[in-house]
Amino acid sequence: MKNTILSIENVALKIPGVEKNILSEINYQVEENDFIVILGSNGSGKSSLLKLLNHHYQPTSGKILFNSHTIKTLTQNCHESLFTSLTVLENCYLYSSDRKKNPNYFAEYIKKFNPNLELKLNQKVEKLSGGEKQALALALCVLHPPKILLLDEHTSALDPKSAQKLMVLTQEVVAQHKITCLLTTHDLDIALNYGNRILALRNGKILQIIDDKNSNLNQDSLLAACY
Amino acid sequence: MSNLIFSVMTQSLTFLPLSLAISISYSILRATDMTLDGSFVLGAGVFARLITQGCSPPLAGIIALFSGASCGMMVSLIQRGGKVDPLLAGILAYFILVSANLAVMGKPNINLLSQTTLLSSAFSISELTGWSVVACYSIAICIVTCLAINSRFGLILRGLGDNPALLQRLGKNIETYRLAGFAFTNLLSAASGCLTAQTVGYADIGMGFGMTLTGIGAIILGQQILRFFIKKSAPRIVFEFTACLIGVFIYFLAINGLLRLDINPVYLKMVLGMILILFLRTAVNPNLSRNVT
Repeated sequence: MKNTILSIENVALKIPGVEKNILSEINYQVEENDFIVILGSNGSGKSSLLKLLNHHYQPTSGKILFNSHTIKTLTQNCHESLFTSLTVLENCYLYSSDRKKNPNYFAEYIKKFNPNLELKLNQKVEKLSGGEKQALALALCVLHPPKILLLDEHTSALDPKSAQKLMVLTQEVVAQHKITCLLTTHDLDIALNYGNRILALRNGKILQIIDDKNSNLNQDSLLAACY
Repeated sequence: MSNLIFSVMTQSLTFLPLSLAISISYSILRATDMTLDGSFVLGAGVFARLITQGCSPPLAGIIALFSGASCGMMVSLIQRGGKVDPLLAGILAYFILVSANLAVMGKPNINLLSQTTLLSSAFSISELTGWSVVACYSIAICIVTCLAINSRFGLILRGLGDNPALLQRLGKNIETYRLAGFAFTNLLSAASGCLTAQTVGYADIGMGFGMTLTGIGAIILGQQILRFFIKKSAPRIVFEFTACLIGVFIYFLAINGLLRLDINPVYLKMVLGMILILFLRTAVNPNLSRNVT
């Protein structure tokens, strides 16, 4: 039996100046090593839910129970997770707490995420392509693997091919390091092809919870969550 | 001509630590720290006052450097927690330092010509020996600065200038690093003031006026020229510091050249300002940063 590492209990979120609740009546439990896809259209509250989980917001009512786990977030704007005017190697040094690690270690580590990055260790991050930046941001996020990884539409700024590559990479990394992952998306294909559980949101409320994609899958309901 | 070059080189040598301070503050910490003007005068003032009070020159030099560092700490504390805009914090600190400098010096001008300083014995042998010692001091300061900026401390300072929010998320205390960064730049500025006071033979309350903006202009000028010549990728620190050297040299060459052209000194800063505006206008070209890694 898996351990529950995060429990969301009857959570509501209201932001000053906004009339209606951003989130309401959210009850959900995250278990260890889950890969949960939070599906919803723009304004459904999926990013706000992640912001609640990384303490950016505090719930208006209800509670979120954590064990003392490390949480890292990667958003669609990878610039938030990178030092863009520094080189790839300098970013690695700043993320690494081990001062003894040398460039060869980082070259080996980073090429698993994108082979091009190995050749661009001394290049400024701002000169990398979008796909390379997101791969680097993911690599740095899991350099010291967190217990929980929050991915807020981290592939949305990429072309379909790069997005697919990054999703496959994300799945591999999450499985390899036994990271519990919550990923937001408005793409039904991502929800169906990656992760083991789906949480569909609409207008700030839970529309559908799918714990086993093979048994109780209601695609029409999921499709409704995307639009 | 050789007189002109010698004069330009000597002026550049004393200005060099300040230009490094401005470069670190402007390009690495991404802040226009106006306090550097004040700490330049404070460095000169504290040194001159202590020397005239009979303090030993090395001790007076060390105290002058730390007085400059304390200015940096002050400006960092003013803007702590993002409550005061960094530019405004610098202006406020400079504003305070105008009074503080006068209080420290006791009068607007302190003469050092008859005093024993760190450089007086070298200059008493010959002018060339004196300037060689100044060059040694400046080069030593440059080497220490390069080592500091190339260390992990320097890397964190560069990270702080680039993305302070991320640096904080990575568990670094950004306020501590900001304080250390500003203390370091203001210490360099005070070192420059200290050297200048000894070479010109006096400390004056108005000697730092407009230094920071002039320095930024000179650095941008140096960067423009360097980018024109460098076709291959260059490490950032080497580029920034070489740009400083070139910029400062060209700046003093321009001042001395204009003076030799018998331009009325009243219009000197106006003409220099216009030249700098021309360079600043051309600096807003994104392609210019293509060769720097």
